[in-house]
Amino acid sequence: MKMKSWMLGAAAVAIMFGSVLISDALGYWQTESTKTPAVITTGEFAGEADPADIRGSYSFGDVEAAFGVRAKVLAEAFGVDPADAESFQLKSLETVYEALAEVGTEVGTGSVRYFVALYTGLPYALTEEVYLPQPAVDLLIKEGKVAGEAAEALKAIAVEIPAAKTGGAVTEESTEQSSADAAASGEAEGDASLEGLLIKGKTTFREVLDAGVSEADLERALGAEMPNPLTVIKTFCTEQGLDFETVKTALQALVEAE
Amino acid sequence: MTAETQKTKGQKKTARIRPWIQGFFFMFVLITSLNHLLEESGQSIPFWPQASLHAICPFGGVVSLYQFFTVGTFVQKIHESAFVLMAAAFVLAVLAGPVLCGWICPLGTFQEWISKLGRKLTGKRFGSYIPGAADRVLRYFRYVVLAWVIYQTAVTGKLIFQDVDPYFALFNLWSEELAPAALAVLGATALLSLITDRPWCKYACPYGAVLGLSNKFRIFKIRRATSTCIDCGACDRACPMGIKVSGMEVVKDHQCISCLECTSEYHCPVPVTVELKVIGGDLK
Repeated sequence: MKMKSWMLGAAAVAIMFGSVLISDALGYWQTESTKTPAVITTGEFAGEADPADIRGSYSFGDVEAAFGVRAKVLAEAFGVDPADAESFQLKSLETVYEALAEVGTEVGTGSVRYFVALYTGLPYALTEEVYLPQPAVDLLIKEGKVAGEAAEALKAIAVEIPAAKTGGAVTEESTEQSSADAAASGEAEGDASLEGLLIKGKTTFREVLDAGVSEADLERALGAEMPNPLTVIKTFCTEQGLDFETVKTALQALVEAE
Repeated sequence: MTAETQKTKGQKKTARIRPWIQGFFFMFVLITSLNHLLEESGQSIPFWPQASLHAICPFGGVVSLYQFFTVGTFVQKIHESAFVLMAAAFVLAVLAGPVLCGWICPLGTFQEWISKLGRKLTGKRFGSYIPGAADRVLRYFRYVVLAWVIYQTAVTGKLIFQDVDPYFALFNLWSEELAPAALAVLGATALLSLITDRPWCKYACPYGAVLGLSNKFRIFKIRRATSTCIDCGACDRACPMGIKVSGMEVVKDHQCISCLECTSEYHCPVPVTVELKVIGGDLK
């Protein structure tokens, strides 16, 4: 049995594109990480999307799709240009609010989780210090999502959007500029913390080990035996029923101690 | 009977389909990569698939295998789609060898285009600059690269190869992800393509190393009929991987890319002499 070149060419195209079509029909064709958060498994809200599983790779549009909080509301709350709202990734907030983070006032993915939980009424256990931008607090109070003592408590954690970012909302351009500024500042001051590992939702145990943390210290912080180093810490916590935020805080402290 | 006589007897050469398919895949990857860039800036071509280059690279599936079977996750930036394409490329390889290398890989196509220019510039000296002894040894270097990539990826869980990958560099010249080392490797590949065919494929491509193993057991093999062969050497000269086809009855060389340039459809002047066929095929 022979195969001519046209048959081989046709087979190449058919097998490559056929595999895409078949896997797509079977629901296996994924070209990016899924943006579907885990659901709450117990209690009154069982089956609802869990704000604790909002990740830095989500855009405001992804949050809207999963939780129903409109991207434009999130943009207003976090001082982002409404034109960029749909595609603005949560991890970009770390850059936008970098000046505040340097003095220990972090506004990032955790802030969005908290905001979404308050806005939707879904449960979310705070395990670390969280700050919200002033517009976010104002919006929650204005829309009646919080009131009374809760509103007063929120006012205490409200922070102003960094001056360089006001006078117009935050744009991707200003984010990049802020990043460049921060890098320059880090170089000038020799600030090692800017080069250190920041534990996030995709960080693996290998990265923590590479940051200089010993396996013994890591296991002490976990309270369990370390799995395969390539395991994503957050995945391990979910599987073992550990609170990721608690583990993250403990491991971050170890990284910073190195 | 000479090769020239054979040609004048009216053997009709088949219209070349391979360059069209290569061009199609090159443009497909180029537009997909540009579309990904547009997508990040909030725009995109409406009907075109949205995927990163990592998502449509089957080698990403290969380097993810260890992590997938030990931890159950993919290497960072790799998704299910890379596994699907890896499986498709393996099916093609089992059927007819490294078809992906010879017909689909845009970096192979890029090298072939540069080599066309190189042939014009260097004339008959093209392909003779690298000494034979060095060439023979260097052809196994891609297995060293493969072992290094798989080990490093398994240990770190990161896409280490991206930092030196000329294929990624070629389609990310406009991206912030472009690594200087990868750009340097791409530049070296382009320069070497001016003096020899497919230098990256021959000496350094780790994915070519994996797929090349299929030449040992593929179903359809390139077979030469010694009874009709006139030993003109046209098949040897046509092979972009420099394989001495005229010295074999069945091409099992790990470097064959199944481009079919050596066959009677293209450069072999004698009909039904060098063909892609299964064992027991009709050799006349």
